[in-house]
Amino acid sequence: MVKTNKRILRGVLMLTYVVIISILLFLISAVYTFLNTGADRSKMLHTEVKKVQQYLPKVTWKDDGNAGRKISLQKINAVENDYLDAWYVKQIAYKTNTRVGIEDYFTESARENIYNILDFNKLNKISIESTTLQHNLDIEFFSEDGQLIVLKDTNALEFKKVFKDDKLILQTTEVSTYRYVLLLEDGFWRIRHAVKESSEKFKNELTKTSIAYLDIKGINYYPQATPWNMYGDEFDINIIDKDFKIIKESGLNSIRIFVPYEDFGKANVKLDKLEKLKKLLDTAEKENLKVVVTLFDFYGNYDILDWTLNHRHAEKIVEKFKDHEAILAWDVKNEPNLDFDSRGKENVTAWLDFMINLIKSIDTKHPVTIGWSNTKSATILKDKVDVVSFHYYEDLENFESEYLALKDTIKDKPIILQEFGVSSYGGLWRPFASSNEEQANYYKEIQKVLTKNSIPFMSWTLYDFDKIPKEVLGRLPWRTNPQKKFGFITSDGIKKPSYKHISK
Amino acid sequence: MKFKQGLFLLFFQLVIVSFFGQETATKSSSIVLLSTKAEYIVDEEITLEFSSDKDVPFQLYCANSYGSTIIEPIISNQNIKFKIPRFLTKKRGAFSWKTINSEANIYGNITILPQQQPATIETYLGPPSIDAGESDYTMLVVIPTDSLDNPILDNSKVDVKHQFLKSEKKEPILTDKLIGFKNIYSPLKSGRMIISSESYGLNSKEFDINVMPAIATNFKLFVKRNHEYADGNQITTFFTSVIRDKNKNIISDGSYIEFYVTNKKGNILKTVGTTINGVAHAKIIHPDFEDNWKVKAFFIGISESDILEINYKKVIENYTVLFKDNNRNIKVGPLKSFMNQIIPDGLSVKLSIYKDNKLIKDFFKESNKGFANFYLDPNIFENDLYKIIIEAAEIKKEFKSFKLW
Repeated sequence: MVKTNKRILRGVLMLTYVVIISILLFLISAVYTFLNTGADRSKMLHTEVKKVQQYLPKVTWKDDGNAGRKISLQKINAVENDYLDAWYVKQIAYKTNTRVGIEDYFTESARENIYNILDFNKLNKISIESTTLQHNLDIEFFSEDGQLIVLKDTNALEFKKVFKDDKLILQTTEVSTYRYVLLLEDGFWRIRHAVKESSEKFKNELTKTSIAYLDIKGINYYPQATPWNMYGDEFDINIIDKDFKIIKESGLNSIRIFVPYEDFGKANVKLDKLEKLKKLLDTAEKENLKVVVTLFDFYGNYDILDWTLNHRHAEKIVEKFKDHEAILAWDVKNEPNLDFDSRGKENVTAWLDFMINLIKSIDTKHPVTIGWSNTKSATILKDKVDVVSFHYYEDLENFESEYLALKDTIKDKPIILQEFGVSSYGGLWRPFASSNEEQANYYKEIQKVLTKNSIPFMSWTLYDFDKIPKEVLGRLPWRTNPQKKFGFITSDGIKKPSYKHISK
Repeated sequence: MKFKQGLFLLFFQLVIVSFFGQETATKSSSIVLLSTKAEYIVDEEITLEFSSDKDVPFQLYCANSYGSTIIEPIISNQNIKFKIPRFLTKKRGAFSWKTINSEANIYGNITILPQQQPATIETYLGPPSIDAGESDYTMLVVIPTDSLDNPILDNSKVDVKHQFLKSEKKEPILTDKLIGFKNIYSPLKSGRMIISSESYGLNSKEFDINVMPAIATNFKLFVKRNHEYADGNQITTFFTSVIRDKNKNIISDGSYIEFYVTNKKGNILKTVGTTINGVAHAKIIHPDFEDNWKVKAFFIGISESDILEINYKKVIENYTVLFKDNNRNIKVGPLKSFMNQIIPDGLSVKLSIYKDNKLIKDFFKESNKGFANFYLDPNIFENDLYKIIIEAAEIKKEFKSFKLW
């Protein structure tokens, strides 16, 4: 007995010794590594490119030669760069009423003209937020010594918001033609003379695009394992293919998917993400499913200086898929009316307005819609969208009347119920709130209304989810937990009773 | 359900009523622009006057070539006036305005024209130096600007004046797209050209352009030397003919000419010189043995000379070698030149020592007062039989079975 105790004691002592020594060793090595990681040699010269893209309006060049010396492509790029930067610093200056950066892009006598206006605006508490969306440039003259350029900007599209005492008093869109004399000074192409040749009010006559078919029986789709993160590393086209087969078999004919803005690389859309989206659309086409693509998911800035970046993002995606057979419609933004409080209704509406213009200028085949979160907001921009979409999560009883009211205000455009559904969650955080049976009942009832009024619909959603990213609904369990149970199929792949009413 | 329907109907009615309400408001728009002038000259006072039957004041948004702002109204009687501040009216271009917070947004454009009379002529001239020969040119760009720094209207006449030697020219150009420009071609001769411009009686300052000679043409090569003996002492001077471009302009001073000498053995010697008044001089020392040189000069990458051939005559016909101190002290000389004078110090003399036909060592000495002395150290060269060869001014003397003791 004594012997075993001694052995145990000895063993414990030895173990503690080993543990203490290893901790000590770890600490010493940690200190040693810390002291040995200093400045990285590769960073010594600060050679990394710090330039961030912050202003990318659409630029087209008229390639018809110019008077004077022949200009190289490299020079043209330099001029474009500096010219756009000039606009950018000017916009920052008028927004903040400060002079930062102006002297880099305007010659000494030209900058006075801007300073005068800035001083006046500052004194009168006026500030102007503006952006340009389109420049059509043409070099008309390039001097023999390479120091002077005459540049014409035809029909530059400018959007301005005018504030007085921090209150928005005017939004205006102008199409102006400018002619500039630029001088090469200190390596910058600086504006020496600017003459606005003409200015008109922006008129945008959009052609209406009708939707390919209206017998939409659809569903909002995310794979079960990766909701709100569809194009990440776990992207698996086989899972998506299997899900699409389930959707098709259930009698549905379309889906709605989301394209996250930042995940796709903002203004510089990542090729691998586009490739994944293409695979998804190809698979949908194969399964004969139509797809509503919702752009700008997880985006909520709407800042006027962000617009040009947003436009380049949308442009890339729409340009790439505008001829894809699977596309049913472009949904500009999911539930933008929820951002009205935080970002201002005018901001969001203007942003949507110009985004519709852009998408429709690229894709003339597919209709554009906005996924409003309720019927009240659905009338906003009704003249611009091709299809009116709304979501409905409120009382089932009022659904029909709200729909009919909306239909009365929008007579000439199709209306889609783009999201609806109910959770089957009845657990700890909301006991007895719902159940699988109640969910099934909800779908049974709403399907009656949908069939009666032949309303195109897309329900929320195929699967129950295990995890909801905090960006969607935050972390509060009484909010996230019900969200996990909106599916027709449980996370284990078992069809819930509601599945019976998924399409009829 | 009835209540809801009623509510819905009420809402619907409201929508319709408000719709019509809006419609009527726009129709009976009460703001009218009274000012009719649509074209102003810069710095003219612009006042926009509106009549309004309501007392609600409104503001005016306006934008010119450089930016935009808001103007507060001046209200008098029934009319609402906007006085456009000078910093906006003094710039040329389209001036747009729009009413804010008024019942109807009305908007318009005013054209602000520059003054006719320029106050300065902004001039840009480049490149600053051009080649003579009527093919190269410089470009004059002028921007006549009025007293408020606005480019004057297109199609304004500008006279471009330039003087070169005896010619003075005046040619008119018209401004287009804010600027006017003219290519001025170089004359045949090199020199300095004076350029200026004039518009509506206003003269610019003077600008000048250097007309540089064009590229050189081929040239001739000459030589100058004291005598033709290869004494290794005198200096030979090569010089070029006057180097000119194709229009007979003397090339710029300081042009770098390289002279390449190929001797009898095919070795290449090089010397250089820069031109003054078109002539480059380069010097090189005479060889110290009989030789034949072929010389050619290059203006690298541009032009070259013909080949010049020169001969150097032998000066030393023979010399004696004296052995002393057990043959260890060797005295070469006297070395005599072409008139039997002692050759100037510095003639190279070489002694090579062989043992069993294998070279052991070379000694080099320069002549001093006509002699070159060699000493073979007994600590290095043991008493034995050797072979030595002495060489001076390309004359070789061989001593076989040469004994040291």
